[in-house]
Amino acid sequence: MKKLNNSKLALTLGTSIGLAMVAGSAMAQDCTTKIGAVLPTSVDWGRPIAETAQFAVDQVNAAGGVAGCEIEMVLRDTQVDPKVGVDAAKALVDLDGVQVLLGAVSSGVSMPILTSVSVPSNVMQMSCCSSSTAFTKLAEEGNTDGLFFRTFATTGVQAAVGAKVAADQGFSSVAILYKNDDWGQDLNNLIARDFEALGITVTASVAINDGQPSYRAEVTQALSGSPEALYLGLYPAEGTAAVREWLSLGGTQNMIMANSLKSDDFRENVGLQYLGSALGTDTASPRVASADAFVAAYIDRFDSEPNGPGLANSYDATMIALLAMEAAGKDATGDQIAASVASVTDPNGTPVTADTAGFAAARDVLAGGGTVMYQGATGNVRFDANGDVSAPAVVWKFTEGGTEEVQYLSLTEVDDFIASLN
Amino acid sequence: MIGLISYLVFFTTVASILAIAVLGLNLQWGNTGLFNGGVVAFFGAGAYGTLLLGGTPQPDHMGGFGLIYPLALLGGMVAAGLLAWIVGVLTLRMRHDYLAISTFGVAVAFENLMRNAEWLSGGAKGIRGFERPLRAALGDGFLYNLLFLLFVLLLLFATYRFLELLVGSPFGRLLRAIREDETAARSLGKSPDRIRLIAFITGSVIMGLAGGLYGTFYAFVSPQDVLPTLTFQIWAMLIVGGAGNNRGAIMGAFLIWAAWTASGWGLSRFAPVEMQIFAGSIQYVLIGLVIVGMLLWRPQGLFPERLVVSQSGHAKN
Amino acid sequence: MIQHMLDGILVGAILSLGATGLTMVMHMLRFANFSHAELLSIGAYSALVFDAIFKSALPVFATQIGPLSMTLALGLAMILAMGITGASAVLFDRLVFRRVREKGDELSMVFASFGLALIIRNAIGLIFGLHTKLYSQDIVFATVLSRDPLLLVKPDQLATLGIALVIILALHLTLSRTNFGFALRAVAENPNLAQVNGINLQKMIVTVWVLGGGLAALAGVFYGLSNQITPTIGRDLVLPIFAATIVGGIGSIYGALLGGFIVGLAANLALLILPSGYSPSVPFLIILAVLLIRPNGLFGEART
Repeated sequence: MKKLNNSKLALTLGTSIGLAMVAGSAMAQDCTTKIGAVLPTSVDWGRPIAETAQFAVDQVNAAGGVAGCEIEMVLRDTQVDPKVGVDAAKALVDLDGVQVLLGAVSSGVSMPILTSVSVPSNVMQMSCCSSSTAFTKLAEEGNTDGLFFRTFATTGVQAAVGAKVAADQGFSSVAILYKNDDWGQDLNNLIARDFEALGITVTASVAINDGQPSYRAEVTQALSGSPEALYLGLYPAEGTAAVREWLSLGGTQNMIMANSLKSDDFRENVGLQYLGSALGTDTASPRVASADAFVAAYIDRFDSEPNGPGLANSYDATMIALLAMEAAGKDATGDQIAASVASVTDPNGTPVTADTAGFAAARDVLAGGGTVMYQGATGNVRFDANGDVSAPAVVWKFTEGGTEEVQYLSLTEVDDFIASLN
Repeated sequence: MIGLISYLVFFTTVASILAIAVLGLNLQWGNTGLFNGGVVAFFGAGAYGTLLLGGTPQPDHMGGFGLIYPLALLGGMVAAGLLAWIVGVLTLRMRHDYLAISTFGVAVAFENLMRNAEWLSGGAKGIRGFERPLRAALGDGFLYNLLFLLFVLLLLFATYRFLELLVGSPFGRLLRAIREDETAARSLGKSPDRIRLIAFITGSVIMGLAGGLYGTFYAFVSPQDVLPTLTFQIWAMLIVGGAGNNRGAIMGAFLIWAAWTASGWGLSRFAPVEMQIFAGSIQYVLIGLVIVGMLLWRPQGLFPERLVVSQSGHAKN
Repeated sequence: MIQHMLDGILVGAILSLGATGLTMVMHMLRFANFSHAELLSIGAYSALVFDAIFKSALPVFATQIGPLSMTLALGLAMILAMGITGASAVLFDRLVFRRVREKGDELSMVFASFGLALIIRNAIGLIFGLHTKLYSQDIVFATVLSRDPLLLVKPDQLATLGIALVIILALHLTLSRTNFGFALRAVAENPNLAQVNGINLQKMIVTVWVLGGGLAALAGVFYGLSNQITPTIGRDLVLPIFAATIVGGIGSIYGALLGGFIVGLAANLALLILPSGYSPSVPFLIILAVLLIRPNGLFGEART
């Protein structure tokens, strides 16, 4: 067995040495730089996240690649199993020599990758979708070495905007259904506090576990306080089941949804006719004309709007990682790339768009020693010292063809509102 | 070359940790005939116990007692043993198929408790704040991983020797006697219930050791680490390796884990991107086929149990 | 409270159907079949396929029956799905269980069923995808039975309850009043003795699998109607169905019926005292409680 493994590994090693030699001797586009992606491709909502990352890589390659080299994204499946994800990340770092890891999605997978692969190996890790507050704490303790970033706005923004929607609509009582994972538990704690701060009664706060035989009991419990509205911190799979049950038992159609439900599956399986008064929240693109570029390019490529958990976040994570690689220059190490993130997400930098042209423009600015402000699919992404991002917010609703924006909240408005809650 | 060695060190560490857990299961199933469908609960008790005892204090959940590492690891094993004692007393008298179902249920309930009891285990976001032992002195690069691997190999070897001695001892013969014919054993004045409980707890403590090492290696544990998948993986390792044979159990662990990781590597390398979404399902179908295939065509495993004949025929106890 | 009890009974009906099949298989073949719940998936998905075929071939069938979301097409599809699932169950026995049975002990069977469940579940995921499917996009609104206290029932669930009761009653009568039933019980008690008395063991085993598979398919379709269809139905239902079987006592048809209701009720009532995050643990707690009080379940007989 060992022998077999060895020979396979030797093969990869040979290939990568070969590529490295090519890289050393050739000019633009004749060399290849690898980046690693560890994403749950075998899960229904995981695959589009990986496809979107590849989409960003393709756009950058169309712009001539990074530091003159074509980017190859090596994708590994985590199966949402921490062991498997960590092993994949370790193999990418040790065998493929990547300096950048994209992923993972679940915090429970991203965290061991960070502590046992990225930090020890000095590799930058950029997660699209891990939301746990544990990352912030780890960074505060100085244990991430500044190598970790995530483009998923902290759950605090999501919760605050959700509470604001309820207040604006004049609801005085709300029931909460939340997914029983790290994201859902966080969200529930935060939004319950925000509702309270706004004087809105939370009639029930019900955890929804994955794959239960029936959500009837949970829904009955949420119904029992006769709330004026329902807050949904769920994913499409259990969200569909719970909301169908909720509606059939005569629950109100006044619903407020987290961005995870921005999904075509959810809209079709629940039915648009019942979602007329449902409002969702999300982080938003900036108010510049070029921001539509991402959506347009996405539709062009995938024939559908980028609706689904984490798609825009995955795109931004990939783009920022590649921009930072460009800024750090050829053969930069993980910590150098991580240090360059600030120069591509600089609020005072030259604005660049999220597409091929934007990447080419950024290259020129960076080559001239300037900094850029990346205007991404989730907004003007700006990381704080802990690698956390904040962004403008948007309120949306479902339409025939997808979703449409109802209200836009700039970064200042979001910050002011959050401050007013405390 | 450094990269390859570094990866192999990493791979061998994880495989060795899993091998320890397989040895624990082998004592329960291979030698005593106890169907433990909830391996992951005892593995998890070890991991959670070690990290809670050895971690730094956390504001939002219990633990963080900052015990020195050997005590923390021992504490994890005790936690697994305590859980096994409670579960064993409640369920070991049951018919074997009831035992399989109950222990399966124990594992589901364990994961569920860790996911919900934020005050105890940090809830779904898991436990962090654990410092790997001697990290300050050794850093956390290749050298650390190499030394940790040696530590794990040492414990794997110690566990193996312990079990070989145990199985070869009169107690080991007693275990097999109960497995083969309980009534006969009872008629000889032995107490099958008590012996089975001891074997069950011992095996679970070994699983707890594996869990503790696993938690140490990743310096993190969350409910996602204790899903039923791990129980399937450990069982597949034992069935493929050969129930009843400790060397087979270790080989099974390395084989299955190598196949699992190599297939992921191969699929990412050679399968087209559109096929990637099927990779996980295909892997599970394959592992299922391996299990069923082994039971059909080679139920004794790749390394069958070596039947030990007692020299004297008269056991001392 | 009353609403929770009502909900529990309605959910329990589906579990009862699944448990009835499982209890017969476990009684006869003496092993804990971890792949039984996958038969529900096979039933639910085959009905989905036939339903689509009937609806496109004969649009007349696509109209709903009375207040139910059930259509004539789905009704026919359900009957075909029962056949397909029964046949699959027999096939699995031929391919796997019979061979392991001849070769090894009962515990190898348990593990073989683990492996088989893994294969079936992921094969379904490969064929049909991992996304949620529904028989009908429409939402059937619940009927209000009473305003104070508020009592709501969905017509589909009442129909499920009715059908489950009728089928289980019929099954019980067959098993307790006919020669076939006696033969079945004889085989379960002592296969060798039964064969000596001229009972065809193989035929009996096939019959049990067909019955178990058919009932499982029915449960799967009803589950899909009242919830949704995903490849993980089997994984999600395996513990509740085992719980219902064990609570009732292995081998008892009435026990399985009652066990299903008890598990359904307990899962619903548990929410009154436990936070809902703990609901996956409830079936396990019931198993433990029952086995401690009555080691052979409510209606089971002691057996070694």
